[in-house]
Amino acid sequence: MSGIAPVPGYVVMQPTTLCNLDCTYCYLPHRALNRPMPVPVAAAVAADVNVWAAANDRFSVVWHGGEPLAAGRAALADLMAPFRGVEHHVQTNATLIDDPWCEFFAAHDVRVSVSVDGPAERNGQRVTRAGRPAYDRIERGIAALRAHGVAFSALCVVSDPRPELAAELYRYFLDLGCDVLGINIEEREGVNDRANAHGEAAVREFWAALVAEWRREPRIHVREIEHALRYAGAVLSGTADDVLPRRLDPIPTIGVDGGVYVLSPELAGFTDERFGDFSSGNVLATPLRQILHAAARGTGWVGEFLAGVEMCRAECPYFGFCGGAHAANRYFELGRFDATETDHCRNSKIRLLEGVLDHAAAH
Amino acid sequence: MPLPTESVRGSARVGEPPRNEGTVPTEPGRLTAGSAALRPLAAADPVTRRVHDVAAGLDELLAEAAAARTARAEEGSEGAAVCAWNHFENIPTFYNWNNRPR
Repeated sequence: MSGIAPVPGYVVMQPTTLCNLDCTYCYLPHRALNRPMPVPVAAAVAADVNVWAAANDRFSVVWHGGEPLAAGRAALADLMAPFRGVEHHVQTNATLIDDPWCEFFAAHDVRVSVSVDGPAERNGQRVTRAGRPAYDRIERGIAALRAHGVAFSALCVVSDPRPELAAELYRYFLDLGCDVLGINIEEREGVNDRANAHGEAAVREFWAALVAEWRREPRIHVREIEHALRYAGAVLSGTADDVLPRRLDPIPTIGVDGGVYVLSPELAGFTDERFGDFSSGNVLATPLRQILHAAARGTGWVGEFLAGVEMCRAECPYFGFCGGAHAANRYFELGRFDATETDHCRNSKIRLLEGVLDHAAAH
Repeated sequence: MPLPTESVRGSARVGEPPRNEGTVPTEPGRLTAGSAALRPLAAADPVTRRVHDVAAGLDELLAEAAAARTARAEEGSEGAAVCAWNHFENIPTFYNWNNRPR
């Protein structure tokens, strides 16, 4: 893996800055504001995306936020309209999902992923703007998905990883009926400046316990387990060099105003005296393909990040598994893009792999 | 069992050949239980050695994971959220691993 590809595999769209929840660990700085994306922004993105989609078997447009459903069905349909030949995905807190939204998902062939942190007592950080627990609303939304037969994935934030949580969480998600599960150990980034350092043993044992529970009934595709096993299997078969992509996907996030943020959407809304607002351009002024070609040349903060990736490659034996610390984690934890090992690396990469290997060693 | 520490990091030095761009040497004759394939010699780095050290347990786990994927019909399934698994080089959208948004 070396450098950044000029053509993405998918784009992330922010249809509104607004989120109807106020989760305590959220990184978004403007989630209380309702700034909608104008249709010309989506049309400008679609001008290049439609070309890429026509040239590839699959190309995705991911509607993120804020809470993307807070944009409303009519506005979201208008924003989707310029796109051709793409898959639409939505990452949602599920609180607004009802029968009409389920019909919308079916009509627009939208793939759904919900954010929920486990059973009600584990969702204390997912609260409304009035500070009240949001779990009842989340549960109602997911029930609507199930009633309509809409398949869904789930993302779960774990703020306090410890082994006794693993079985409880996995059993919950089995009952929930999701197809895919991703576990995000809480990260310090954006406006969330809570420390995310945890004891090594607790985190490793959490991952090892999750594997043990998953193994009893592996009906769910667990993102972290699959990746760890994919890498371990590649090491055993001598193909570990093939695990990482040849180049990083730029993953452009398009903000409501057309600003383009590559690699780490968490940088949107922040400024730095060296790098300004971190945007690589604006689709209302410059075609997305040109913005991404410039970014791939390593302009601005991206150049410092690419130097950081090479530092990771040189210093860290986990690089073949990880591909280098994420840009936002480097910046928000360590203040620079060429800093290397972060707490996110430790929690979600190093201790994940070690926890999976611990389980394999013990069974 | 005491946990191996993370102190293995840093054992590689700046200036050494990038691990991922090298060729892992193989040791003819080293076979692992349950597999007839040659396994790479675990000499390149501590993580590779660590993986090989638990190869027996991993072989069983990997076999179970492969069977589970088949049972979940992940290959080419229509409509299921998991069909995205093979979409990109890694996992797409928020399930992309090596670089992904959250």
